[in-house]
Amino acid sequence: MFEKVLIANRGEIALRIHRACREMGIGTVAVHSTADADAMHVRLADESVCIGPPPAQKSYMNIPAILTAAAISNADAIHPGYGFLSENADFATMVEEHGFTFIGPTPEHIRIMGNKVAAKKAARDAGIPVVSGSDGPVVSTKMALEVAEEISYPVIIKASAGGGGRGMKVAHSPEDLRQGLKAARNEALAVFGNGEVYIERFLSHPRHIEVQILADLYGTVVHLGERDCSLQRRHQKLLEEAPSPALNDKERDKIGAIARNAMISMGYRSVGTLEFLYQDDAFYFIEMNTRLQVEHPVTEMICGLDLVREMVRVAAGAPLGFSQKDIRFSGHAIECRITAEHPETFIPSPGRVEDYHAPGGLGVRVDSALYSGYAVPPHYDSMIAKLIVHGATRNECLMRLRRALGEYVIGGLDTTIALHQRLVAEPAFVNGDYDIHWLERFVDSGSS
Amino acid sequence: MVKSPQKPDVDEDLVRKLAKLLEETGLSEIEYGKDGWHMRVAKASAAPVSVAMAPMPADDETVAEDGTQGLSENTEIITSPMVGVAYNTPEPGAPPFVKVGDHVTARQTLFLIEAMKVFNPIEAPRDGTVVRIMVSNGTPVEYDEPLLVIE
Repeated sequence: MFEKVLIANRGEIALRIHRACREMGIGTVAVHSTADADAMHVRLADESVCIGPPPAQKSYMNIPAILTAAAISNADAIHPGYGFLSENADFATMVEEHGFTFIGPTPEHIRIMGNKVAAKKAARDAGIPVVSGSDGPVVSTKMALEVAEEISYPVIIKASAGGGGRGMKVAHSPEDLRQGLKAARNEALAVFGNGEVYIERFLSHPRHIEVQILADLYGTVVHLGERDCSLQRRHQKLLEEAPSPALNDKERDKIGAIARNAMISMGYRSVGTLEFLYQDDAFYFIEMNTRLQVEHPVTEMICGLDLVREMVRVAAGAPLGFSQKDIRFSGHAIECRITAEHPETFIPSPGRVEDYHAPGGLGVRVDSALYSGYAVPPHYDSMIAKLIVHGATRNECLMRLRRALGEYVIGGLDTTIALHQRLVAEPAFVNGDYDIHWLERFVDSGSS
Repeated sequence: MVKSPQKPDVDEDLVRKLAKLLEETGLSEIEYGKDGWHMRVAKASAAPVSVAMAPMPADDETVAEDGTQGLSENTEIITSPMVGVAYNTPEPGAPPFVKVGDHVTARQTLFLIEAMKVFNPIEAPRDGTVVRIMVSNGTPVEYDEPLLVIE
């Protein structure tokens, strides 16, 4: 087992990783930018190293600085968290070349799934249903028009090097497509450094349902059920729940088995999530995330597993110790992502947290690095807390969420707690009756 | 009349116990206290302990505070532009680049910071005199850590 793990991330996930390591008796090294010198995980970690100025490119994504910090602190392994370098195959390769263990999937799998065109092909080859589309990059406008005719409009243009909802354009007609292609290519080039695009059939009212995978180095793979992440605004998830209110046990087992078998055939290791669009009782693979996800806590709550602990154990060479038949799902869990933004205008609100009171009680979990007096830096992602609740049933979960949101105090900044409170009172959400476009419509319609 | 505070009676047994603990454990000093008083027993010949580990922010803040106290104006603190290991000599055994009191010229190498086997020279931003050096040879340094002060 590792003696020391370097946490190559910040905020709530860095604290999450520190906690799992501390519980396993593993020493932690927190690397941080100058803006995060007073972060909670930096204060709690066994050691810390300042690796750069606030900009992420010069600190949290600064590979030489992170590897040097690992060398001078004698770390055994590096956990990349999510975002930043977690899906950078070059980083994973360099970590291993320098003699550290990368706590995550193999660099090869990160590379394959990082290119969305290659990922779709790999998924198809592994027997996973995919959205019909160009089956490869679109190399000319002529090709794009032909493909669109074949799969029929509306279509969506996506960046091969993209992900996380960025660089996508919908086209309803050939003219739309001509313009959309130009725009999508330019944006992809600017944001991802690669202008390659592909086309897929655009689904009008799908749900976003993803399956959590966990695998060890010895071929044991389990799926840990699904999460429904349909509540999104501008392709950013706001709230996630497990299990999905839209699936029954038969469908759940079926998609879980498809995902698991595909990962067995790929020889996958560590955690991963296969994302699907689900419409009219059919699943369509869109992409795979070869890392821990923000919303992993809802899966932990219904499975009773510590996913970060499992990642560390697997990376250290320990066998999973359980198989698919041992996995039990219990109750329902919901996670609210709370951001430092105005709940209606979404204008960012960095600033100093004054009063801070987190909700508690049975079935309430807060994953946050906030504390009273903490200054939220403006340089990074605006998510400042995750409120996760668990209940024996979805109804109990909703009651508990309503109660917990009402207790949560984050003074000194604007936060989206009020938006979550509106959401939890909304009949469509209460009935589980929403798709990936629902939240945007709800938010745009203003307060009811 | 001046009242002097009552001196507590020295608990000889406790002193002997602490001294014995020092021997047994190999520690160089033990501090023990209760009821508002403290006793510290230390070995006279304790060798200085050299600490070689990654710097903690609290410690560094203290060092920085001490290191940058009492400076006159017109001084510049040279901080490390990267994380790595600081060396004050061009190679092992060679004389250091600079000592306190040395006059330096702009662009003169003051330190080397090594990261991933690459040595990066830290140069003086302008002419001046080295007033203080905060980092010793072979010490790991963080980004922005004070290295030396030039006047």
